[in-house]
Amino acid sequence: MRLIKIPENKYYEYRIQAMFDCYKWDPQFCDKNTLSKYVLILTKTENKELISLTEKLDKETRLAEEYLNKNIKIAKKLELPKKILKQIPNMQSYNKNKNIRLMRYDFHPSTDSTWVVTEVNSDCPGGFAESSLLPNIARNTINMPELEYKSFGEQMVEVINKKLNKKWTIMMVHCTCFSDDRQVMQYMGDRLKMEGYNIIYGAADHIKFKNKNAYCILDNNQVRIDLIFRFTPLEWLIQMKPRRWDGYFNTTTISCNHPISIYAQSKRFPFVWKDLEKAGISMEEWKRLLPETLEVKDLSLKNGFIYKPVYGRVGEKISIKEACKDEEYEKILQDVKKHPKQYILQKKFQSKPLKSEDGKEYHICIGSYTIEGEHAGYYARMSPYPRIDSYAEDIPVLIEK
Amino acid sequence: MDGRELYKIYAPAVAKWIDWVHPVPFVAIDTYNRKPIVDWIDRKAIFLKEYQQDAAIFIDLPGKESIELGIDLAHNGYRPIPIFNGTDEQQGSQATTDTYLIESCLINGGEKLKNIKLENDANPAFLLDSYRTNRYRAKESIFDNSWDLYKQDIPSAEYFKQNGITRIIVVGSALQPDLKKIFLKFQERGMDIYITDGYLSPKKIILAKTIKERLEKEEI
Repeated sequence: MRLIKIPENKYYEYRIQAMFDCYKWDPQFCDKNTLSKYVLILTKTENKELISLTEKLDKETRLAEEYLNKNIKIAKKLELPKKILKQIPNMQSYNKNKNIRLMRYDFHPSTDSTWVVTEVNSDCPGGFAESSLLPNIARNTINMPELEYKSFGEQMVEVINKKLNKKWTIMMVHCTCFSDDRQVMQYMGDRLKMEGYNIIYGAADHIKFKNKNAYCILDNNQVRIDLIFRFTPLEWLIQMKPRRWDGYFNTTTISCNHPISIYAQSKRFPFVWKDLEKAGISMEEWKRLLPETLEVKDLSLKNGFIYKPVYGRVGEKISIKEACKDEEYEKILQDVKKHPKQYILQKKFQSKPLKSEDGKEYHICIGSYTIEGEHAGYYARMSPYPRIDSYAEDIPVLIEK
Repeated sequence: MDGRELYKIYAPAVAKWIDWVHPVPFVAIDTYNRKPIVDWIDRKAIFLKEYQQDAAIFIDLPGKESIELGIDLAHNGYRPIPIFNGTDEQQGSQATTDTYLIESCLINGGEKLKNIKLENDANPAFLLDSYRTNRYRAKESIFDNSWDLYKQDIPSAEYFKQNGITRIIVVGSALQPDLKKIFLKFQERGMDIYITDGYLSPKKIILAKTIKERLEKEEI
């Protein structure tokens, strides 16, 4: 694995291209440019290893979630939001062959030369365009046409084409007030539109369910929906008022993702592994790759462990002291004290930084996608400190032949 | 001129503050083939006697007025930094905020801006749409494309201060809640906040949390 720097004199144009050709509409976060000045190169062996690990993890995850869906007593240990827990009986009609299952596993290189997986983005992983288009722009910019990459978007299109008629309607469900959500949906929507699908952009509450089928209610777009492509996280969806989100849980409309995604999205997922193994579901890969995870039982922070929120996103509220800004660390500890059940303890691993050609060190997180159990490309981020959060930079991934 | 060329006028490679120019409306100009508006008004920044080295400006007026005033501020030495972040609604549906007008007006503004000579380190005049938080939906079938400004959308107080800026001048009828939230933190970090309606001289304001705001869970 190595970093190649984008030449200084080409970076401005590269950034513009990322914005206009690659749906990178959020290249700045506060004072931080979030589009890396580097390209990440994986060796063929590293790529092969990551693909293998990703697919093994995915197999375990999918078997686990199907089992949990049928065994509510065990699923209760995940401390799912009450509103979701109540929906489990409605999810019994879930058909894995009908829906499209998309996940992204976060891999980190560690100092003992192994990979560590810190979580799976099971519900609504993003970064589609960064995975699908940015590597090509980067490859041209550094003039290394021999490097390869797997496009997430192309694989998604392939899977959708197998399940849908190209004349059908796909609704890209997202939080319409956030342009950074829209950029994810817009890339996928534009790409699917090229295939011939009717694409509708809307919010979660722009769908009404009738006889378990989804219908769009937006003016002049009142049609039956054939695929719900959801980028609104379930924890947000269930806050929606007026309440009409129940339909998402038992709809017969094809969904990507179906709410079954909530089981592995919970960081308490490891707490049910013993039960899963008793039922004959191996969690070997997960056990090997995920740092030890404990419940927050007392409030004395265990030495060598960090707090992570059960439903955290983009590195928020993770108590890695050296990565926290201002009073953030103290505030997280206060929050843990108030809401211990909303956090888990995870053993802190030693992230191995990667040195750039110009001597700078960066910590890397490689998000490895799966669609229907198959590896579907990478979305990577890097940070000067060992936490990948909103200040982290997006870095395209290319692979040696 | 397409959205990309236009973006480069507002965000030329060599200039300061350009990293915060939001690309969203510029991308939409190409996607929806926007055309310039016909009723551009050359506004005057009457509230400003002269260029102020220690001040950054946030124009929080209806989008079109904001851009028009931003161009006059460019004549006064300020670099207009559009930070509009609303997306376009689903075709055919109604929206809560009008992004079309802003996208079109940015074309007119860009045509004018390219002929104005600005210093590379010119202080910023951030352009906002005061209708951005209009999220009232008369019926549920309306597309809500309202948006808020968040602290991550602009430079931090530390960055402003490191660059010699200790005062924020807001041009608008009132300080909207999203701006208040951000500038309260700025004030805590030693920056002064001023407000003007666009005509009168800016007046210093002291921001304080309401009881409700004090009770709200603080964001980590």
